[in-house]
Amino acid sequence: MTGPGSPPSRPGTAQPGRQPYGQGAARLSPLVLLIDPIRMLPSLFLPLMGVLVAGGFSPTSFGWAAFGVAGSVLYAVIRWVTFTYSVTADRVELTRAFVGRSVRTIPLERIRGVDITTPPLHRLLGLAVLKIDTGAGGGDAEGELDGLTMGEAERLRAVLLSRGPAALPHPQGSLARDHAGSDMPSNIGSNAGSGAGPGVPAFPAGTTAAHVPIPAAHVPEQVHARVPRSWLRYGPLSGAYLLTPFALAAGAVGLVFQWGDELGLTERNVRRAVEWVWAHPVLPVAVVVVLVLAMPLAGGIAYAIFNWDFSLRSRDGYLIAERGLVTRRAVSLELRRIRGYELVDGLIERWVGVVRLWAVVTGLGDSQTRGQLLPVTPRKFAAAVASEVIGPLSAPLRPHPPRARRRRLFRAVAPWLVTAAVALALGWAVVTLAALALAAVGIPLGLDRYRSLGHAYDGTRLSVRSGSLRRAQAVVERRAIVGWTVRQTLFQRSSGVLTVVAGVGAGSGGYLAIDTGEAQGVEFAAEVTPDWIRPFLSKPPS
Amino acid sequence: MRGPLRDPAHRVSRRAIALWLVEALIGFGFLVGGAALVAYWIGGSDWALVPGWLSDHAWLLPVAVAVVMLPFVIVEPLWRYAVHRWELAGDVVYARSGWLSREWVFVPVSRIQTVDKAQGWFERVLRLATVRIRTASHAGSSTIQGLDYEVAARLAEELARRAQELRDDAT
Repeated sequence: MTGPGSPPSRPGTAQPGRQPYGQGAARLSPLVLLIDPIRMLPSLFLPLMGVLVAGGFSPTSFGWAAFGVAGSVLYAVIRWVTFTYSVTADRVELTRAFVGRSVRTIPLERIRGVDITTPPLHRLLGLAVLKIDTGAGGGDAEGELDGLTMGEAERLRAVLLSRGPAALPHPQGSLARDHAGSDMPSNIGSNAGSGAGPGVPAFPAGTTAAHVPIPAAHVPEQVHARVPRSWLRYGPLSGAYLLTPFALAAGAVGLVFQWGDELGLTERNVRRAVEWVWAHPVLPVAVVVVLVLAMPLAGGIAYAIFNWDFSLRSRDGYLIAERGLVTRRAVSLELRRIRGYELVDGLIERWVGVVRLWAVVTGLGDSQTRGQLLPVTPRKFAAAVASEVIGPLSAPLRPHPPRARRRRLFRAVAPWLVTAAVALALGWAVVTLAALALAAVGIPLGLDRYRSLGHAYDGTRLSVRSGSLRRAQAVVERRAIVGWTVRQTLFQRSSGVLTVVAGVGAGSGGYLAIDTGEAQGVEFAAEVTPDWIRPFLSKPPS
Repeated sequence: MRGPLRDPAHRVSRRAIALWLVEALIGFGFLVGGAALVAYWIGGSDWALVPGWLSDHAWLLPVAVAVVMLPFVIVEPLWRYAVHRWELAGDVVYARSGWLSREWVFVPVSRIQTVDKAQGWFERVLRLATVRIRTASHAGSSTIQGLDYEVAARLAEELARRAQELRDDAT
């Protein structure tokens, strides 16, 4: 265990001969010590109350409680003192020397992205949490620096990110304006000037010799999109966060049970309460109705809190998506690793004409939250941003054959008809009617599923689309494809259709063109990668 | 088969039929055994949920399962032998597999990340091997079962060598 007085840079932390990058081993901001005890408060509260109650609030018990508080503060101090981080020419090292000594080494070229979040307490003190994403599937391989000053976090991000392979020149922002329709707000592609002041790193001479140094001052930060606050109204349409009221209610119930003893909650009282509720069945029904009515409102509020002032910028070959009201979160994605994008819209979103945008990134852990490029925004805007940042798809989707429609319809209707028949045979009238109703709903659903199907290739990118309740269109670069799988089930065979899966080493791994015609599907694969498929066609194409 | 794709050039080893037969028999055994267990349980219970005629003739269940499934045990290995084929041409692995449902896989050697040659217990007895070709995506990965050991070894060797030469890191 290191005493509080030990020097910040200890022998052995940085390897001899390795030039420390920036300063040597550094500590987190001492301000984090103000946050730690507050964060421990909830877990300390019960034991402390227990000590006080057990001691009958005597002076001794207060003494013990004070001892406990002092102990936890001391623990926080020791943890702070014994944790250091250093960035050398080729790696980040996080050293923890509390009881044992552990050094986590993250090679700089393995860093896929750097996230900066500022939870509310951190924000008050001007601190931030910096997470290093190595694409190793989360967990232990990632690095976290909880409690850097905002300036240091920005500086570290710039240092860590600029150390990756040289940034690609990214597409210019003029494209979006050409695409812009009349209802397009003029906030795409506007230039924010040269980055935030503290974010521009000062490169010590000699440390970047092997790499192309990125002249940070000459690459102005470019703003691709700022989502206006008025678009937050689209949030509830996405269906995300709609269950917020139920989650809150469940959380409250959980708290009651957890602290039940303190609140005088005994088994007898519970039973009495249940009996009372049983006698007044209106109450739980009313509660459920209130919760359901609260769904769009609470969902909208939760959405607004998480997606407040969403902005998408690029700098030094990285895309930075920043969002959040209470906790600001800035996720950076290496442009070099982006292989395409995915446009996702639900049924209601489609009626309103809004979509969500995700990036398809190789080796990205937690791509659901990290890969998000835009929250719910109008389709035209999202498409313009996607083609500006990643690249356009300039080919219309080709529809799949009518046999595919028959299959979609059958699959949406038949299971419910079977259920209805079985229920009818067993004499369950309610189930029969419900199943019949669902079968009826299945008709438009099946038709819509068919309308969603499509695939396209424009010479650079291919695209596939499917789904109805959640429709997703993926647009992926040709060079990202690592192989093809063509599948045909017995039923597909009798309908003369098949499913073509483009294997991509990014995103969800495979993108499906469902129920293409037999020749159509194989032709699609052959069109995208002729060298791989043409030799195996049964007859040379005319 | 008629279709837009021609048959891959090579069949797998004829001994693969035996392998698939053994596997099918094991599956068959589990299925019939499970059915017998369920029958035993139904026969012993006098639940109102289970109709009387069923619990009285519970022994019919495993018999019915056996009668229905037995043809498949015979047919599946032969059918698979007809479908399973593979080819390495123009630095692309082209393989077909399946029986009721089929799957064609195209994996360019330049995108291969690992090549495994694996032998299970039965495969060892039958001198067979499985070649697993992995890329960065599960949808671009291929498994060729039931190859003669010598053929599998040569294929794995060749693939590993060519993959080394053609390594393409675009993904």
